[in-house]
Amino acid sequence: MTGETDYERLYQQAPCGYLLTDDTWTITAVNDTFLTWTGYRSSDVLGMPLPQLLPVGDRLLHATNSVPRMQLAGSVSEVSLEIIDATGKRKAALLTAVSAPGPDGGTEIRVIIFSAHERRKHELELVAARRRAEESEARSLRAEAGLQHLALHDSLTGLPNRAGLASILTRELAESPSGKEVAVLFVDLDHFKAVNDSLGHNAGDELLTIVAQRLSSAVRSTGTVARLSGDEFVVVEHVSTLSDATALAERLLETVNRSLVIEGLEIICSASIGIALTDSDGTDGTQLLRHADIAMYRAKARGRNIWDVHDPSQGDPAANRMRLLGELRHGIRTGQLRVHYQPRVDIATNVINGVEALVRWEHPTRGLLQPIDFIDLAEESGLIRALGAWVLEEAVQQGRLWNPGTPGCAPVGVAVNLSTRQLLDPHLVDTVATTLTRHDFDPHLLTLEITETALMESPAVALKVLTTLKAMGVGLAIDDFGTGYASLTYLKDFPIDELKIDRSFVSGLGSNDGDSAIVSSCIQLAHAVGIRAVAEGVETDHQRSTLLTLGCDLAQGYHYSKPLTAESVTRWIADQDDTSNPSSPVVLQPLPEDAVDALISDLDTAMENHEVMEGSSPVPTL
Amino acid sequence: MSVDTLSVIDRHNVTVGGRPDGPVVLFAHGFGCDQNMWHRVVPFFEDRFRVVSFDHMGSGQSDLAFYEPGRYSTLDGYVADLLAVCEALELRDVVLVAHSVAAMMAIKAAVANPETFRRLILVAPSASYINDPSESYVGGFTQEDIHELLESLDSNYFAWAAALAPIVMGNPGAPELTGELEASFCRTNPDTARNFARVTFLSDIRADLKDVSVPALILQCSEDLLAPPEVGRYLHDQLAGSTLVGLKATGHVPQASAPEETARAILQYLQSDPS
Repeated sequence: MTGETDYERLYQQAPCGYLLTDDTWTITAVNDTFLTWTGYRSSDVLGMPLPQLLPVGDRLLHATNSVPRMQLAGSVSEVSLEIIDATGKRKAALLTAVSAPGPDGGTEIRVIIFSAHERRKHELELVAARRRAEESEARSLRAEAGLQHLALHDSLTGLPNRAGLASILTRELAESPSGKEVAVLFVDLDHFKAVNDSLGHNAGDELLTIVAQRLSSAVRSTGTVARLSGDEFVVVEHVSTLSDATALAERLLETVNRSLVIEGLEIICSASIGIALTDSDGTDGTQLLRHADIAMYRAKARGRNIWDVHDPSQGDPAANRMRLLGELRHGIRTGQLRVHYQPRVDIATNVINGVEALVRWEHPTRGLLQPIDFIDLAEESGLIRALGAWVLEEAVQQGRLWNPGTPGCAPVGVAVNLSTRQLLDPHLVDTVATTLTRHDFDPHLLTLEITETALMESPAVALKVLTTLKAMGVGLAIDDFGTGYASLTYLKDFPIDELKIDRSFVSGLGSNDGDSAIVSSCIQLAHAVGIRAVAEGVETDHQRSTLLTLGCDLAQGYHYSKPLTAESVTRWIADQDDTSNPSSPVVLQPLPEDAVDALISDLDTAMENHEVMEGSSPVPTL
Repeated sequence: MSVDTLSVIDRHNVTVGGRPDGPVVLFAHGFGCDQNMWHRVVPFFEDRFRVVSFDHMGSGQSDLAFYEPGRYSTLDGYVADLLAVCEALELRDVVLVAHSVAAMMAIKAAVANPETFRRLILVAPSASYINDPSESYVGGFTQEDIHELLESLDSNYFAWAAALAPIVMGNPGAPELTGELEASFCRTNPDTARNFARVTFLSDIRADLKDVSVPALILQCSEDLLAPPEVGRYLHDQLAGSTLVGLKATGHVPQASAPEETARAILQYLQSDPS
């Protein structure tokens, strides 16, 4: 190395790589240190673009960041990258470069490259640790947000829950724009329990999820839909006028009423909606919700699938109910209750077959009340047991008078309704037995009517009770058949004597093909399992003649007679005796099992085509 | 100006220059730099055009307080910003000059709001950087290549995060830039750059091309690592009414390496435009 100048020595053997390139980064000179470090010969790299020595990631970063920086700012400092050496191994390095005028008048780039293995390793480790820390922080933030969300939202529908609604209401009331009021709409599905009970909780959950989605899409983005519990939803919206709120209620009903299919079954839902608006009194969220709730109860009482607006002049229905309950207790004790009897007639012969006992309440100030006005209350409060026992006592006592046992006198059966609570009352069998004994009444002349809903509340208990009653000789009927959404196959399992086809199907006879198909299937099914079919709510001669054609056995309804007092029934029987001859009872023979199954399947199909959530309510009518 | 307008201008470090009453040229930068990328071409437009440039959220001097990783993990967030800048300044008949990944945004913005734009100038564009053998599409890279890029970003993390890189002691080539300014030029935020790199290199806008109704100029560089010639031809085929011009400039950033050639190509295209 003689003759080498200091400058040459410094250049060739500096403690770092030196390179010169042209302005396109093509290598024009390289020092020994770089060649030794990479293992290349100078002929390998001269004329080669420097980026070709970099792995693709570094090359991309070089092209997108270092190149423009060089061109715009004239330098880059300590860019971290890797150089691929002659053996293909990657060597970590730091690159610093400046661009400067070259000797030939063009631009040259002067490059220094340091080996930086440890530094790169260390920095990558630090970045990885930083990422992990960020990730863990993000996770705990997400978890916290998730917990907060869980606390304020309903897990089934994802809507705000009661707590979530409370905070939303507080905010909305505070931030209500001027000229706008906050409307709270309390939405309660009608008969949701029946769906849950008959189709199962999964189907119920699915229904709630669909309803939640529908309500949400019917509400503007400024509105809120929350789920309070079970089938109770609340919609909060800013409105200018009450009519905005009622229009919203209409829209909500419309969307809820659209048919939906759950587990292959088409269902039409309905809902009752109560509306309450903020007023000048500075209503708070809790009061507003309470007012909407009250209005909702009024909508339910008015027949469901409608809305009602909170009226401050109306009392609190909860208080009203408490008062009514006290009056009912008093009424039972002081003899304000009456039993009326609706005749049931053999369709073929028009001869009276029996009567259904129906309770009435002669209220001192409100006049004669129908079961719909107080039976729910009696059932919920448990007062139904006392009330039911009283009706049974009255009806059996009266029945004994109509059946004196004189030869030639046609027997008159008596039917009495049993509610869910009564059916599950452990004293029921005793009560029935002692009542029959006390009045020496033929058990075969007593029929107890049970709704499908009551049967399905606890099928095992119901089966045991009904079997015992049956063994005593008491007749059993399924009331309001077709409205309870119960599986039809249970018909075969319960010791039933009669199927009472619900008035909602009978009323559609002749005008609604679906109803006609259901009535026809019910009658065939009843006969196939060897029991009688009874049509409820027969009001026209056309319905009567259709039922006759379909082979229905018995009928009751205004076409024959409205419910009458015991005295009127006595006269009615006497009149009938003068005009007609008693019929000989028809003995029904059950069909084989497979024929019954086929009929059940027919009826299922007819039901599926029917709007199952419409029609009369499956409330027991004592 | 409304609060919204001011906030958009502030958020994206929008700069407006040139002739206030001139037609609008809006410059959108690509991955790896910021609006400084246009530093050398802007002077060619200032005498006749109203020149607007901005930084994408996460780049340059944009306000990182508004950076939401979710919003900026796809092109849509950036496209919405671009349209918001146009709306805030009430820009009409815009000539949108977009480099690299911004060309992808330009195409999406033109599909969403064609009436805002008069012409698209796509500088070194790509429809997708990833090869798609099933469609015989050559983008130039594989998914693994992009992972390598992310590692390169990581290895430069600390230098970028704290601007720790030393300043070169002598820089005779760029006397106009000194000290701090030099250090901050196209400096990249390492956290947002990672997200931006993913969006840039993993987006695929091939499906949008058929919906573009705004005429476009495609500027294809020689020896562009990021946009091979096949990509330029592909875009030209797919974009109805497009013009493809090859530049002598090498590399991926012709507006920096060959500002004059780049500006002339754009001006010539706009001049020959009959509308």
